[in-house]
Amino acid sequence: MNLHNQLDPISRRAFCERWASAALGVTVLHGLGGSAFAAEAAKAAAPTGPGFGKAKNVIFLQMVGGMTHIDTLDPKDGPTQGPKAPIKTKADFQLGGTMENLAKQADKFSIIRSMTSKTGVHAAGQYVIRTGYEQRGTIKHPNIGAWAQHFLGSSHKTLPSNVCVNRQPQNGNGFFPSSFSPLPILDPDVGLQYAKSEATPEQMSKRIAMLDQLDAGFRDRFKTSEVKSYTQFYDKTISIMSSTDLEAFHLDDEPEALKEKYGKNKFGQGCLLARRLVEKGIRYIEVAKGGWDMHNNIEDGLDEHGAELDMALSALLEDLKERGLLESTLVVLCSEFGRGPKINGNAGRDHHPKVFSTLLAGGGIKGGFIYGSSDKEGMAVADKQTSPQDFLSTIGWSLGLPVDEVVMSPSNRPFTVGDKGKAVMELFA
Amino acid sequence: MKTRLCLSLACALFVTGLQADNEVYRTWTDAQGRKLEATFRGIENGNVFLQVRNGYVYRLSLDKLSAADQQAAKTLKPEGLGIPSDPNLAQAAAQIDMLVEAGLKKSEQKPNPLASDEQFVRRVFLDLAGRIPTREETLEFINDTSLSKRAKVIDRLLESEGYRSHLFNYFADMLRMADVAQKARFYTYQDWLKGQIAENVPWNKIVYSMMTADGKLLENGATGYLLRDAGMRLDNLSLTLSTFIGANVSCAQCHDHPFADWTQRQFYEMAAFFGATETYGAKGNAGAGMQGMRKVIASLGDKKLQQQAKNLLRVNALAVEDSTENDLKIPDDYKYPDAKPGDLVTPKLITWSDDKNKKAYQGVQTTKHDEQLRAQFAKWMTSPDNPRFAMTIANRMWKHIFGLGVKEPVTDLDDPAASVNPALLHHLANEMVRLKFNLKQFLRVLCNTQTYQREATSHELADNTAYLFPGPILRRMTAEQAWDSCATLVVGADVDKFKGHRGETYAKAMSIDFSGEASPDVVKGQIENAIASMRQFGGGGGNPKNNTKKKRMMNQGGEENLTLAPPVRNGLVLARASELPQPEKDQHFLRMFGQSDRQIADSESEEGSIPQVLMLMNGEAQRVIGQNDSLVVKTASAQKTPEQQVESLYLSFFSRKPKPDELTNAAAGLSNGMTMRDLTWVLFNTREFIFVE
Repeated sequence: MNLHNQLDPISRRAFCERWASAALGVTVLHGLGGSAFAAEAAKAAAPTGPGFGKAKNVIFLQMVGGMTHIDTLDPKDGPTQGPKAPIKTKADFQLGGTMENLAKQADKFSIIRSMTSKTGVHAAGQYVIRTGYEQRGTIKHPNIGAWAQHFLGSSHKTLPSNVCVNRQPQNGNGFFPSSFSPLPILDPDVGLQYAKSEATPEQMSKRIAMLDQLDAGFRDRFKTSEVKSYTQFYDKTISIMSSTDLEAFHLDDEPEALKEKYGKNKFGQGCLLARRLVEKGIRYIEVAKGGWDMHNNIEDGLDEHGAELDMALSALLEDLKERGLLESTLVVLCSEFGRGPKINGNAGRDHHPKVFSTLLAGGGIKGGFIYGSSDKEGMAVADKQTSPQDFLSTIGWSLGLPVDEVVMSPSNRPFTVGDKGKAVMELFA
Repeated sequence: MKTRLCLSLACALFVTGLQADNEVYRTWTDAQGRKLEATFRGIENGNVFLQVRNGYVYRLSLDKLSAADQQAAKTLKPEGLGIPSDPNLAQAAAQIDMLVEAGLKKSEQKPNPLASDEQFVRRVFLDLAGRIPTREETLEFINDTSLSKRAKVIDRLLESEGYRSHLFNYFADMLRMADVAQKARFYTYQDWLKGQIAENVPWNKIVYSMMTADGKLLENGATGYLLRDAGMRLDNLSLTLSTFIGANVSCAQCHDHPFADWTQRQFYEMAAFFGATETYGAKGNAGAGMQGMRKVIASLGDKKLQQQAKNLLRVNALAVEDSTENDLKIPDDYKYPDAKPGDLVTPKLITWSDDKNKKAYQGVQTTKHDEQLRAQFAKWMTSPDNPRFAMTIANRMWKHIFGLGVKEPVTDLDDPAASVNPALLHHLANEMVRLKFNLKQFLRVLCNTQTYQREATSHELADNTAYLFPGPILRRMTAEQAWDSCATLVVGADVDKFKGHRGETYAKAMSIDFSGEASPDVVKGQIENAIASMRQFGGGGGNPKNNTKKKRMMNQGGEENLTLAPPVRNGLVLARASELPQPEKDQHFLRMFGQSDRQIADSESEEGSIPQVLMLMNGEAQRVIGQNDSLVVKTASAQKTPEQQVESLYLSFFSRKPKPDELTNAAAGLSNGMTMRDLTWVLFNTREFIFVE
């Protein structure tokens, strides 16, 4: 977010190059600068096809802990069925028994039932499903929001392009500048942290005027890009604090009935906030929801977390549709892995990366469609195996990103959106 | 005196190519008619300081000089920046200056002007002690009229608590020091490193200890380096090579390096030196004890207790052990014809094309005893003859002080010729070896250079222009410098007093005797005791809890005893960053200002962001600094006039007095309704505060 928003494409490129050579004259760091040129070239020769660039915004819902696929998006009969029997939907497929509201929206989304991942460790799995890369001690990889900001520039004049709700922004910007890092909203009801000053507006404007006077000497003496960029951050922050843009973060402005409909919990309100941010022109919003690590008593877990998801996601899809935003907004639901078909001794299910499910809606995605399948028990992929890389490439494709383009990190290593995954074209209408 | 003078003059002739020509040389004559061509560095306590062309500084008694020169010494203006604490140091510093100036001259650039006392004192405090000087420390320095005051303050800071804290922060970022890893607390590792820094253990010895440490993490903190990446020895090696010898091998972990010389096979050959090193306690000697332990755990009735006991066991099982067999194999997806997947790898050291005949490679033969492999590797890597080991740490310490390496990035020294000043880089490496890896001594030399004591570069370099060090670069404070400076504003120099020492407490609480001699009942008792104390550490794993807050103590007068516990204001624990959780929690000032999350080596950030600026403008730090109980406010409020108050604040925040227009504006503000709180907010939010000149 931030600095880039204020810059036109030329100075943005200059900034990229400046940033890339932040170590003042070290040739190895030309990578990003070069790719900024390449990005423009690539845009001219951008690939086209069904769904390409249909999504202007992405709402990325991450179920933290490993969402059980069998009890949600890929229900099974027989011994592996969970506490509730599958239910019918508006489309010609079934959903897990807890997904009552979502069943009524089935005409709006597609499900991939043949996801597979290599890792059954939470942090490592979450890292892969967000970035497409394995976690390393030597480099951080960007999420799709940061990739989009790199290729497409900023999505708003003053507000950030990349926001994350209910989670910290770790690993968001990857090897891109920290200004690409998602703006964290830790509690949707509270909104942007430190946005309010305890000083009165008059007091604040006096302070800011004095700040401008007393710092002028230093700013004149040191006209380096580092100092300038701080000055720009201050200008921008002050303008955000005093502008109406901050209203994007005020959930109080939403009608109570709608807040109830999304569910009065952090995830429900997070989804509502995501919709508000989409309306304000923020491109990429991640909303996290914990509680899915259901090793014990999965029935209680589903009653709470399954129901919250069901309520929030169906409200979100309906709301976006009503406002005419669903076509330009890609909503995805994913998790680091699924959960095993076997109910364990504690009436729960254990980690299961071998097969799991994700959901996609809007942004040119078909409605009422199932892609791939797991076997009868929900144990392994039966058809059309799909990797986290394919999944992320699909999102990138929908956003209109050049998913095949190699970008060199500042350490001169080559990376692509979704690590050479293949976008699943059958998902697009 | 006579022989010394002659000998040194002879030396002076020997050192060629290192002569500065931009200083004023003059021929000095002593009472006996002997001559010395030198620049005049000053006169103090009846001694005249003369620097000859090779940088050596002579101290001559004034009355030994000829009458004419005695007169000259009394009237001439001294060159340079005061006198150094010893003549060899002056020479070492001067040699660096000459190399820097030679580099500048080649590109037709000039060095920056010398920094003022005010600029110097703030910079040297931040660079060596990791925080701004207090108002009193600044005034003491500025009002000191002695010629040797710069050298003296450098010496003093190198012996300060702040120095240890600041250097720890640097290495904590480099080594990814985190409180929690492998579901255990790595406090003993942190304490071990702090101890090494405090004792100024030579760098080669510190690194050798990390590579060869064995035993339990709880008992030997040095094992933390290998245990940090337990079970991921390839990742660990990749970091070892880039961190300590600047070998850019991360690509070669998975395939031949596309640009440099390294092949994937070479990477595996290096990794094989750790092929007989176990970082999981399941095998090896502790294993037998562990088996017994499992039985004891099974006998614990309560399920929750069993789980806690298992956690405890895991913490105790974190250990480095050598096995007798190197088991490193070529990976399954290996695609080059020189080896087959599954082949055992024979250890082999890498060489650099320019250094094949160096001694570091001699005497390192592949051993028949696999349990010695690690020590062999460590010996080779940390040898003074290793062409990259000294260079890497020298370049890193240079960056630590000047803000930028002579070769960037510091993790890639594969091609020293690509440095902006290869002669300087090689010289720094030689200096590191000459000083026997004494980091304190090395930093002392760097800080005594004129290059360091010049003004920071104020103009913007054109893209891709090499920075040749006309002076230090202007840089933003690191997160730790900024935080420690905030705390200094609130509590003053006392901020350095509190020390954490969490390792000892943790080890004592968690340690279980595995020897097998203890009876099951005794072990059971140990486990129960340890579980009781585990609560203090949040269950042995999981999220760190803030213990310093709980342990906060007041003595009877209500005065805070800072060695026991740091002061807390508005929820902020005002201790040095090195004594706080590593890393701090995400929303803490430190993290928002760029402290590394300790997942990636050398990943401290100096960039701004909107959340960060919102925090600076509206967060807890500005409030705590501006409150009435803050030292900076108390000191300024004690002054009589608004002008004096403003001056007091300027000295505290910027280590300088306000300029006339600043004084007028700020004092007018105070007279027209602005509060001390407002003014501290303003100064705290200036660029001048967060940047280091």
